[in-house]
Amino acid sequence: MAERAAGEGPVTTAASSLVDISGLSLVYGARVGTPVQALDDIDLAIGEGSFVSLIGPSGCGKSTLLRVLGDLLAPTAGSVSIGGKRPVEARLDRQIGFVFQEPALLEWRCVLDNIALPLELRGVARAERDSKARELISLVGLEGFERAWPRQLSGGMRQRAAIARALSTDPRILLLDEPFGALDQITRDRLNMELARIHEITGITVVLVTHSIREAVLLSDRIVVMTPRPGRISKIFDVDLDRPRSLRSRADERFDAYVRLGSDELEKGYADA
Amino acid sequence: MRMPDTANRSTLNDDGLLAQAFPPVAMFVIMIAAWQAVISAFAIPVYVLPSPGDIWLAIVNNPGPLFRHSGITLFEAVAGFVIGSMMGAVLGTLFAYSKFVARGLLPYVIAANTIPVVAVAPIIIIWFGHGLSSKVAVTAFLSFFPLALNMMKGLQSYDRTIMDVFHIAAATGPQRFFKMRLPNALPYVFVGLKLNVTFSVIGAIVAEFVQADKGLGFVIMTSYRTLNMPRLWAAMLMSALIGMAFFAIISMLERLIVPWHSSLHDNR
Ligand SMILES: Nc1ncnc2c1ncn2[C@@H]1O[C@H](COP(=O)(O)OP(=O)(O)O)[C@@H](O)[C@H]1O
Ligand SMILES: [Mg+2]
Repeated sequence: MAERAAGEGPVTTAASSLVDISGLSLVYGARVGTPVQALDDIDLAIGEGSFVSLIGPSGCGKSTLLRVLGDLLAPTAGSVSIGGKRPVEARLDRQIGFVFQEPALLEWRCVLDNIALPLELRGVARAERDSKARELISLVGLEGFERAWPRQLSGGMRQRAAIARALSTDPRILLLDEPFGALDQITRDRLNMELARIHEITGITVVLVTHSIREAVLLSDRIVVMTPRPGRISKIFDVDLDRPRSLRSRADERFDAYVRLGSDELEKGYADA
Repeated sequence: MRMPDTANRSTLNDDGLLAQAFPPVAMFVIMIAAWQAVISAFAIPVYVLPSPGDIWLAIVNNPGPLFRHSGITLFEAVAGFVIGSMMGAVLGTLFAYSKFVARGLLPYVIAANTIPVVAVAPIIIIWFGHGLSSKVAVTAFLSFFPLALNMMKGLQSYDRTIMDVFHIAAATGPQRFFKMRLPNALPYVFVGLKLNVTFSVIGAIVAEFVQADKGLGFVIMTSYRTLNMPRLWAAMLMSALIGMAFFAIISMLERLIVPWHSSLHDNR
């Protein structure tokens, strides 16, 4: 079912895959009411250190797939492995960072203490977790706001804090579910570039759910296009643009070709639906 | 969630302390003067409406007993407030964690909450005797419900996504309670505590009306029977002062314990 686009540049096969998903299905409400098949027989491998985007119309199961990876949902069938471990083991090992659409910061904690929260929950001593949090604050560009309350921050700054929090335990994989969907275009561009830079610097594996094909092309090594009812993968293609990526990557003529490729695939999904 | 007092606080922050204090002080002087003038102009008898001067004399001529009675009522109010609020917090937590207990008990708790305190007070006094403990029990009875209901609401009102964040971080049950649900409930707890400030003073005085040989409720009843109205007004004034001081202390605690709420209007 998962096919690769032929002739769209060389396929950048990562040395080894971090995530292996095979035969994954998930049915909501199997016990009560009418069941919804959110995911149907998904096969997907995600290379270590790669940046992968999941794209598709709403309701095609992107969030569901991401939540399975983060052990927030258990699959109905199939297997998922992250670094050779089941999602629950990877989660308990703090190898998963998750960023949601809402920043979900604790409003009674300052920015620093929000970012240090996962380390605190893990029992890391204050001095150590504070120094880690300060390091992340400078990584995401929030210097000077260590002691600010979340409600004093702009939407973009809150999402920066949420990303820093997700990175605090040095996870192997960062999962982001439409993290910039609620932000204006300028802030969104800026945060996309921050995300590209963080990926570049840390080498972390990233899975990004997005509605925007342009965003996906701009950031990703590989794009997974999904279709709804039931949620399936309709196409997987690699994006061969120069790294590091910048907003100027959009000027590359290959950029438009990839956007067209993705858009056509999305159109097909809508036509079928 | 926004607390009702935050709006006031922002207007208070706009002006200096003097500018804030001036209107109520000026109003106080005007009202006292008008009051005194009306009494002189229409020769109103003291048992209908004592003058501010009469009330002042009732306080300063024999302040010892009045303050002793005020101390008794203050003690009953505070002790009942603390005991009732604590018991309410525990039951509210139980409600938030057990659907069975909440569904089973909540209807009865709400029904009990609608019983007028004057009807319950005699029963509680029969159970707890004629001493201070029965007054404390009546006050605790009144302080119980606001905290139980607000605690339950506060503990249940957490954000689903924040729960997911805690799950991803592999938080334990106690960590979820102490680092998420409880801090999230604190603004609600303070709503309950502020209601209880008023209720606990009412509870103490009502209980003293039913049976007492000391306390402000006792002073009010005896003054009423002897038509000593300046003394009655003085006792009423003391009960208002107790309530206001108590409320001020709880508000101060709120700013200390829930600073992320009071920082709402900080300009950074
Ligand atoms: N908790 C749930 N219970 C029942 N159905 C759900 C639930 N969450 C999502 N769904 C359904 O599963 C499908 C996929 O949802 P989702 O993964 O959120 O899609 P996406 O993130 O791509 O918009 C949708 O049809 C949605 O209505
Ligand atoms: Mg979604």
